Amino acid sequence: MTDTTMPPPEDRPAWGERFRRVATNGRLTAVLILLPPALILFTLFVILPLGESGWYAFYDWNGYGTPEDFVGLRNFEQMAGHSVFATAVGNTVKIIVVSLLVQMPLALFLALLVYRKTPTNAAFRLIFFVPYIMAEVAAGLIWSFVFDGNYGVTASIATTLGIERFFVLADRDLAFYAVMTVIVWKYFGFHMMIYIAALQGVPEDHIEAARIEGASRPQIVRHVQIPHIRPAIAVSAFFAIIGALQVFDLIIPLTNGGPSNQTQTIVTYLYEFGLTRLRIGFGSAVGVVLFVAAVLVAVFYQRIFMRKGTP
Amino acid sequence: MAEVRLENVTKSFGTLTVIPDLSLTVPDKSFTVLVGPSGCGKSTLLRLIAGLERPSSGRVRIGEEDVTGKEPSKRGISMVFQSYALYPHMSVARNIDFGLRISGTPHEERERRLAEAARILALEDYLDRKPAELSGGQRQRVAIGRSIVRNPKVFLFDEPLSNLDAALRTQMRIELAELHQSIDSTMIYVTHDQVEAMTLADQIVVMNKGRIEQIGSPMDLYDTPASVFVAGFIGSPKMNLLPGRAVGQPQAQTVGIRPEDVRVSEGEGWDATARVVETLGSDTIAHLRLAEVDDLTVRLPGHMRLKEGDRLKVSLDPDRQHRFDAEGRRMATAPA
Repeated sequence: MTDTTMPPPEDRPAWGERFRRVATNGRLTAVLILLPPALILFTLFVILPLGESGWYAFYDWNGYGTPEDFVGLRNFEQMAGHSVFATAVGNTVKIIVVSLLVQMPLALFLALLVYRKTPTNAAFRLIFFVPYIMAEVAAGLIWSFVFDGNYGVTASIATTLGIERFFVLADRDLAFYAVMTVIVWKYFGFHMMIYIAALQGVPEDHIEAARIEGASRPQIVRHVQIPHIRPAIAVSAFFAIIGALQVFDLIIPLTNGGPSNQTQTIVTYLYEFGLTRLRIGFGSAVGVVLFVAAVLVAVFYQRIFMRKGTP
Repeated sequence: MAEVRLENVTKSFGTLTVIPDLSLTVPDKSFTVLVGPSGCGKSTLLRLIAGLERPSSGRVRIGEEDVTGKEPSKRGISMVFQSYALYPHMSVARNIDFGLRISGTPHEERERRLAEAARILALEDYLDRKPAELSGGQRQRVAIGRSIVRNPKVFLFDEPLSNLDAALRTQMRIELAELHQSIDSTMIYVTHDQVEAMTLADQIVVMNKGRIEQIGSPMDLYDTPASVFVAGFIGSPKMNLLPGRAVGQPQAQTVGIRPEDVRVSEGEGWDATARVVETLGSDTIAHLRLAEVDDLTVRLPGHMRLKEGDRLKVSLDPDRQHRFDAEGRRMATAPA
């Protein structure tokens, strides 16, 4: 038999003693002064609406008066059985995939080209960042003109090539690809800026050491720079996924979810089938699903990327 | 192993000329130390040899080969950086054999060279650790290991000991000297610490404002500094530099005398008062105040007890004085 001994109990002060220490060293005062404003605002504008939304989700309610028609899980059942919701979820997943596999690599590629501090690079950075600072609705309208088959750039292309005019945003097969193109164009600059900030933090002598070792440019990127900026890539992926779950105001001016609901996302679906049709209970149920998805992403991110103290 | 030659090298960054026109030969298998104050161009010179910077004009030769336009990896050099430049996500072993891996060196050869470097640097027990799990000295050894496995013709060191504490620095100095003896290759070492330069070098190159002030062995530089700058830079505590007129030698602009060459006597000499006394054990360094020359530093035997305010007589050893002209250059003849 092995003689096992219990580890000694932790020498922690009693609750009373701990409270006394906190109360006398000023921390309690700081907590009492600084915490309430944030806590009250957060409760009023985040916790309460969330709770209310969760409550409405179980009612058939048009937004007027007090919800009284309790329907249990019927809103969720309708949502699950609705083909347009399946399309919206599928489209949201496609946006996530494109964000991760097209937008982020593109942003990284461009960041690697322009991260060094030179006047030319600064100009290119600004150009690449302009789409991100533009309002979503404005960007959507601009691209709706670009894709306009009568007067837009596509019309000019069709005329130049001598082919029949085409209407990308009205085409059931092409419309969502056009939407995804605009999403990539709109947000790659944001991710590029995250990478630029991270790349500028990679010690120059690490790159020089790799050059002396004979590493080519792609090898330096792969073996030195990307491992260094891995925390930034994780943050960027997190924003990409959360952003993809919330895509809304770019799609409304572009396609308004059409044609035939082919470009709906979860949020445009919520807006179209919940708010505009005064089915606040149903919309709340969609909101609850979206919230759960976002929380799952956040928890997953927390567990995977922040495990070893890296963001 | 190879000689390194710089021929009329200049280096400018925009309108700023860091190295105006410099020629230097580093002999094969020598340990050459480039030393000088911050901003004197010594690190730039090392980077020119490494190929991390291209000269604005002039040639760089390693061995018989003109490497001026060549990539760093094609020059047969390796470099140890001040920060060590270890990759934090790689183990010690991967850090050391990184270059061999990307060059496609066969596995057996790679393992052999890694084992050899680890043996030389006593890193066998740390190969699986990450750099963050090592002490400063161990990290330094890993950085050197990365150089060794490449079998370079020339080792370059850019202030490799400046991040270490004083005790570790002394230990690593000894290890570097032993390393040079064991692998017997050309080493070029940059430092601003003249003690490192004196203890490690076969040849010291003293630089100032992008120019070479003097090249020579440590004792050449110590005994016969070619300029006021070298006289003041080499030696610790630094040489006393006194106005020629004040010490009775009006033909010299400046007269230098090392602290150990100042005589302290009971009889004749200048009256001096101890201003600050530094007791080092082996030596006592006294900073004196005199009427003739404002300040004078004296190195005394450690057993000599002296305290602030003590009065004593001092004189300068006439055979150990260094005379410099108005341009700061050494004057040829010794005083009569």
